[in-house]
Amino acid sequence: MNESENNFSELKRLLRLKRHEVPPPGYFNDFSAEIIARIRAGQSAAGGNLAGRLQDQAPWLVSFLRIFEARPGVIGAFATSLCLLLLFGVVVAEYSDSAPQTILTTASSSQPLASSAVVADASAFAPGSEGGIAISTNASLQPVVTLFGQPNAASLFQTAGFTTSGN
Amino acid sequence: MTMTMSEPATAPDASTPAGMLEGDLVRRARHGDLKAYDELVKRYQQRIYATIYHMTSNHEDANDLAQESFIKAYSALKSFKGGSTFYTWLYRIAVNKTINFLKQRKNKYHLSLNDIDFNAEHDPDLMALISDKTPLRDVGLSELQKKLNEALLKLSEPHRMVVVLHDVQGQSHDEIAEVMGCNIGTVRSRLFYARQQLQGHLAEYIKPT
Repeated sequence: MNESENNFSELKRLLRLKRHEVPPPGYFNDFSAEIIARIRAGQSAAGGNLAGRLQDQAPWLVSFLRIFEARPGVIGAFATSLCLLLLFGVVVAEYSDSAPQTILTTASSSQPLASSAVVADASAFAPGSEGGIAISTNASLQPVVTLFGQPNAASLFQTAGFTTSGN
Repeated sequence: MTMTMSEPATAPDASTPAGMLEGDLVRRARHGDLKAYDELVKRYQQRIYATIYHMTSNHEDANDLAQESFIKAYSALKSFKGGSTFYTWLYRIAVNKTINFLKQRKNKYHLSLNDIDFNAEHDPDLMALISDKTPLRDVGLSELQKKLNEALLKLSEPHRMVVVLHDVQGQSHDEIAEVMGCNIGTVRSRLFYARQQLQGHLAEYIKPT
C-alpha cells in the first residue's frame, strides 16, 4: 500500500489544490440562518395544511399513501382487492341471513330432533314429543304474544326454545 | 480558509448552544429547539458544503444541496438512533443526496468554481508542483484548478466521492466506509482505481515518479 501511496504522491499533492477552493467571503455568515428560516417556513406551511398535520400525527398513513403515488398498477390492484373484499362481505352476509331458513327447512323434514328444533313458542314445551333435547334460537324478532293470545306490537323479542322429548 | 477535517472548537460556556456537546444539541434539536440545530449547522456547514462542492464542481449546486441536506436531516432527526455520530449520519444524507443529484444531472454539467484562496500561493506542496522542475511551470493555478475539476468529473460518482473524502477532505478509510455504507476493502479499491484514472487524465500535469 505504501508503494501505491508513493506512486500517487504527485497526484495527492495536486489534489491539495482543491482545499484552497473556497466560497466567496462571508458566504457562511448567513448560511445557517437561511436554513433555519427555511425550516421555520416549512413548519408553518406544514401546520397549515392537512398533509402537514397528517405527517405530524400519522406518519404511517402518509408513508402508506405514498406507495400509490404515480403507480397506477398498485392503485388498480388495491381498488380491485377492495371491491373483491366488499363482494365477499356481501356474499357472506347473505349466506348468514339464509342459514336459519335452511335449518328450518331441514328441521321440518327430519324427525325427531329437527321437529323440536324449530319450536319457537310456548307450545313447544308440550309433553309427549318424541326424541332427544334440542335448543333453538330464532334469528328473527317476533312480536310478543300475550297470555290472551293477542299480539303485543309494542315489544319484540327473540325466542329460544328448549325441548325435551322422548324418555 | 481551508476546508479540512478538523474537530470543531467548543466554547467553554456549556449553557449556550455554542458550548454544548453534540449529543446535547441533537437531543434539543430533536425536541424542536432550532437554536440548537442552528449551532449544529454552524459546526458542520463548511465541511458539508466543501464535500458537495468538490463533488459537483459547482458553487450554486453545492449551496442548494448543502441546504437541502441540513433541512432533510432536521426533518429526519426523530429517526436518528444514535448508532453513529450525528456528523457521520449527516454526512451520509449529504453524500446520498449529492450522488442522486449527480445521477440525474449525468454529464450535463457546467463548472462554477470558487476562487483559490490566498494561502494556496504559500502552500509548499503546490509551490513544489508549480516550479521549474515540473511540467506545470507554464500553467497558472486557475487553469490547473479547471483541469483538476474536469478530471474529477470524469470519474464515476462513487470513485469521485472516495477521492474527495480521502485525498481532499482527509477522512480515514473507516470513516468513508461508514459514510458510504460499504466495507473498507471497497473503499481502498475504489481509491486506487480512482487515483489511477485521475493520474491518466492529468498525466501532462504530473511529473512522473
